[in-house]
Amino acid sequence: MSGLLLLIQYTLIFSAVLILVALGGMFSERSGIINLGLEGIMVFGAMAGAMVMVLLPSDASKFTIIVLTLLASALAGMLSSLLIAVACINFKADQTLIGTAVNMLATAAATVIIKAFNTIRSNGADFSAKLDYVRGHDAFVFYIGKLQISWFIVVAAILLVCAIVFFYKTKLALRIRACGEHPQAADSVGINVYAMRYIGVLLSGFLGGLGGIIYICAANSTWHFDYGVAGAGFLALAVMIFGQWKPERIAWSAVLFALFRSLSNVYMGIGFLHALPISGTVYNMFPYIVSLLVLAFTSQNSRAPKAEGIPYDKGQR
Amino acid sequence: MEDYVIEMLHITKEFPGIIANDDITLQLKRGEIHALLGENGAGKSTLMSVLFGLYTPEKGVIKKDGKEVKINNPNDATDLGIGMVHQHFMLVDIFSVLDNIILGSEPSKLGFLTKAEARKKVMDLSNKYNLKVDPDALIEDITVGMQQRVEILKMLYRDNDILIFDEPTAVLTPQEIDELMKIMKDLAAEGKSILFITHKLNEIMEVADRCSILRKGKYIGTVDVANTTKEELSSMMVGRNVKFAVDKEEAKPTNEVLKVENVCVKSKIHANDSVHNVSFNVRAGEIVCIAGIDGNGQTEFVGALTGLDDISSGKITLCGEDITKKSIRYKNTHGMSHIPEDRHKHGLVLDYSLEENMILQRYFEPAFQKGGMIKKKEMREYSDRLTKAFDVRSGQGAVTKVRSMSGGNQQKAIVAREMDRDHELLIAVQPTRGLDVGAIEYIHKEIVKERDAGKAILLVSLELDEVMNLSDRILVMYEGEIVGEVDPKKTTLQELGLYMSGAKRDDGREAK
Amino acid sequence: MQAKESFFKRPGVQTLLASVLCAVLGIIIGFIILWFMNAEHATEGMGAILTNFFKYRIASTTTLMKYMGSFLVNSVPVILCAEAILFAYKAGLFNIGAAGQYAVGIIASLYTSLALGWNWFFCLLAAIVAGGVWGLIAGIFKAYFNVNEVIAGIMLNWIGLYICNIILGGEACMNQSKSETYDISEVNPSGLLPGFMQEFFGGNQYMTIAIPLTVIVAIIILIVLNKTTFGYELKATGHNKEAAKYAGMNAKRNIMLTLLISGAIAGMASGLFYLTGIEHYKIASSVPGMGFTGIAVAFLGGLNPIGTIFAGLFVEYITLGGQYLNTNYYNPQVADLMIAIIIYLCGFVLFFKTILNRPGKVKVNANAEPENTAKKEV
Repeated sequence: MSGLLLLIQYTLIFSAVLILVALGGMFSERSGIINLGLEGIMVFGAMAGAMVMVLLPSDASKFTIIVLTLLASALAGMLSSLLIAVACINFKADQTLIGTAVNMLATAAATVIIKAFNTIRSNGADFSAKLDYVRGHDAFVFYIGKLQISWFIVVAAILLVCAIVFFYKTKLALRIRACGEHPQAADSVGINVYAMRYIGVLLSGFLGGLGGIIYICAANSTWHFDYGVAGAGFLALAVMIFGQWKPERIAWSAVLFALFRSLSNVYMGIGFLHALPISGTVYNMFPYIVSLLVLAFTSQNSRAPKAEGIPYDKGQR
Repeated sequence: MEDYVIEMLHITKEFPGIIANDDITLQLKRGEIHALLGENGAGKSTLMSVLFGLYTPEKGVIKKDGKEVKINNPNDATDLGIGMVHQHFMLVDIFSVLDNIILGSEPSKLGFLTKAEARKKVMDLSNKYNLKVDPDALIEDITVGMQQRVEILKMLYRDNDILIFDEPTAVLTPQEIDELMKIMKDLAAEGKSILFITHKLNEIMEVADRCSILRKGKYIGTVDVANTTKEELSSMMVGRNVKFAVDKEEAKPTNEVLKVENVCVKSKIHANDSVHNVSFNVRAGEIVCIAGIDGNGQTEFVGALTGLDDISSGKITLCGEDITKKSIRYKNTHGMSHIPEDRHKHGLVLDYSLEENMILQRYFEPAFQKGGMIKKKEMREYSDRLTKAFDVRSGQGAVTKVRSMSGGNQQKAIVAREMDRDHELLIAVQPTRGLDVGAIEYIHKEIVKERDAGKAILLVSLELDEVMNLSDRILVMYEGEIVGEVDPKKTTLQELGLYMSGAKRDDGREAK
Repeated sequence: MQAKESFFKRPGVQTLLASVLCAVLGIIIGFIILWFMNAEHATEGMGAILTNFFKYRIASTTTLMKYMGSFLVNSVPVILCAEAILFAYKAGLFNIGAAGQYAVGIIASLYTSLALGWNWFFCLLAAIVAGGVWGLIAGIFKAYFNVNEVIAGIMLNWIGLYICNIILGGEACMNQSKSETYDISEVNPSGLLPGFMQEFFGGNQYMTIAIPLTVIVAIIILIVLNKTTFGYELKATGHNKEAAKYAGMNAKRNIMLTLLISGAIAGMASGLFYLTGIEHYKIASSVPGMGFTGIAVAFLGGLNPIGTIFAGLFVEYITLGGQYLNTNYYNPQVADLMIAIIIYLCGFVLFFKTILNRPGKVKVNANAEPENTAKKEV
């Protein structure tokens, strides 16, 4: 396969991950909660999805595998996002601290759970934190010509369209956005700020969970859960800022970041890039350096949701 | 029998230590514009909060169309058709005008917004009441005047028929005020009933049918505007009796300490200047007061003077030295003391102890540090000396966290700190805000003592009693400009009231 | 006003109580998890975690002391990262970039000792400077470009990690066949930190001056924060930015200086760890967890420099305890899970403390009106 084809393939799948997770972050922040725990939510989603893929009987249809895997991931993501919602909305905890805690919790919990899971399945022979899901992984793949496409990409594209429509066209999204900007104003017209913030965080759980399973299926059919998701959640946060908390711009910046991210995977296959005296690690760094510099030039008038990070107290009107 | 749409009968609302509303009765007729007049702290906001369901009164009943109703939260108020234009607009900056209007009562089908329908309703209302708005413009891009029209449309969109305007003109330009007055008249003509909270007499004379006056939490009376004069309203608002007299001698001003020339400050919320061409001087040994109604540029002017905010043009001279562009630290150490308007925001670090707050601008001086280490003993001694001299009371003395102290003692601590610092000029902004009588008297006495010790004092106050009693010269600020200078011994509260409400000005320009 | 607050109302006592509560709750939840995984051996498992290396007390005191030494050595980076985060937090900055500052500290210390063959003192200094520079970059972005320090920190974490992989992955530092950096003791013994009480700790060769230095750093931070004008400024800024401005303090300078120092402490953390030789650097695909654990330790330690030492020891003790679990029934990461739960609980503790500390009903009076209107044109 030519390097360029591979580049497109990787870019597409990484875009899918970043789009979904960044959209998740966007919904959470738009409702007023900074979600630094996306990384952890992804881990939980990935874990649940991978376990479903492993557990499904070998004669399960592709369709069953796809549906159940996605469902499990989304559900796990939402459950884990509740950890953030309860602490940050009801108990007004420091959102940065809670996000960090959820990230640590996720990696540790996933490791423990997968190891226990493996131990039980293998009757004590295998206690690694690794899952093999070749069959599940293959279920998601189809080809257009020579280009390998994953159903994940299709799902992400559909969800992106849904998110854009939802974000701009629905009553609920309008209310969520109002709560992230001016919760007092929302409250003054009878909107339940707490409920809207719960919905925002749960949406981020839903999308983050899906992003998690796609991430570990992107280029792999096995995953070591003690590694977490290696910063993909944080990269998605950068994509979100870069996309100025708007779904369509997030989509474009995700593609841009994904392209940079993919270069490190495939640069060896692309003649002129391989010829450059640059190691793959430098390509890894690219998205971060670029985003840092761009943030420097855009942050003076960056438009983060105004009320994000500030717990809403109903009493203080 | 009169046709009252809303009646608030014998409302009493107490807060610990103070009665904010003492047996107040307010009756709003259908289709009238009813002004609610009173000074800052007269209890207007409390009364409106009761009506809007934010506070529950201890005594009294509210009737809608003659039937008693319970209003426990803003949603109840909305259900009764009561709408309010808040003083701080409740608008989402990055939303369009239309989105702001429909927020919370969005027309939708299966969860999807059906904005066409909403847009038609909004545009109809907009045309009917001559409330010109661009439905697709973002709030952050439109003028404050248009933002206010959006707030009005929000109420109309919800079919509210009792409209409360909380100090709606405070942030508007004169032209916008004219427009608003016309809109209010149109609304009343259409059968809406309007409660108009203000302390600008001209506006009342122009639009209101009746006016109820509150003073210090008490109901003074309700008059028909057609049968009254500005002078009468003014004296009802401020009362005739000056309560706290301050004993002081004639001022003996000497050399000029502060000179302000043509200072302008750009507004952060509208295109005009919030402070425009302000010039005056303050001499050693006199108290000069900037009087005026809240929101007329005093805060911005003090910000520019002290360095907390940017100054856009003009020159400030302190003791002969141009300090216009100097840092706050420089001003602090070269003769300027400042009792800030908001003691919690600026004046104190609430989580610091009393002694730590006492050296807030002096911690780097050799008296309090050596080699970068704070001299704890000196700090303690200094704090103890000041707290004793100024009778600042606290739970555990110097180590008390300031947050746990009462407002009066917090303020006294600031006054003590600012007066003890080496200074030629004391800027005191609202130095007695929220304090009880004893503390007020005490602080007033200290300020006079300062004057007699040869310091120059710039007092900025909203309290007319304080202005009249304390100052040697009064400058009145109105819409960012000094509109008049009066001698407190020769003027009356009524005259002052006319200046403050823009009805009179020294330069003879037609009052707005 | 009462003259004396009750014992339990004292802030220090409350902080301590809150942290202990978190730790105990974490252990209880950990026990429940063990019980779910294998009910039969749960008590035994928790016992193993809590007994930890003290099980060697039966074998011999020397062995016990040796393990104790390694435990202390391993605690150093966690404690120092936590001190770095705490220091910035006191000034109102969330230095999530400690992980990256720690990473560049690893680069500087290992490169100077392995590739350049410097003396330990200069290697340590290089680590401190590198961490400081990394922190300063975040500070500059914050002060001059208004980039949130959390976001800038996260970006710099990854950049730092990859630079670390590039530089230390080269042949000058890394044994390509073992995929880990060379032993400092073989390549450049002068690059190792001087020993400290090695005999006392059962001849543990990794016991170095890192241990006392850590305690000294904590004490210095305590002094700087509580006794100096600089600490006075930083805390004032952290508590109330507006009041700090009113008092004439220089916000931009303080932001940069704070992150510079915080970064330097994080850089020192890696220097004091890697220059003992106890650990080799291996190519990593994720940012060093030390920076994140540090956040937890700082909060668990009640944001007090000395409390942080104990919190760090506790966290390291539990982490280490995971390795003593019987792997037939459990896996060591249960300990990490317990730590994570404890941190999560820390978020709630701040809430409980506010409730406890809330002064009596705040007085509202009729004059509340001007208080509100004053903010109009802000």
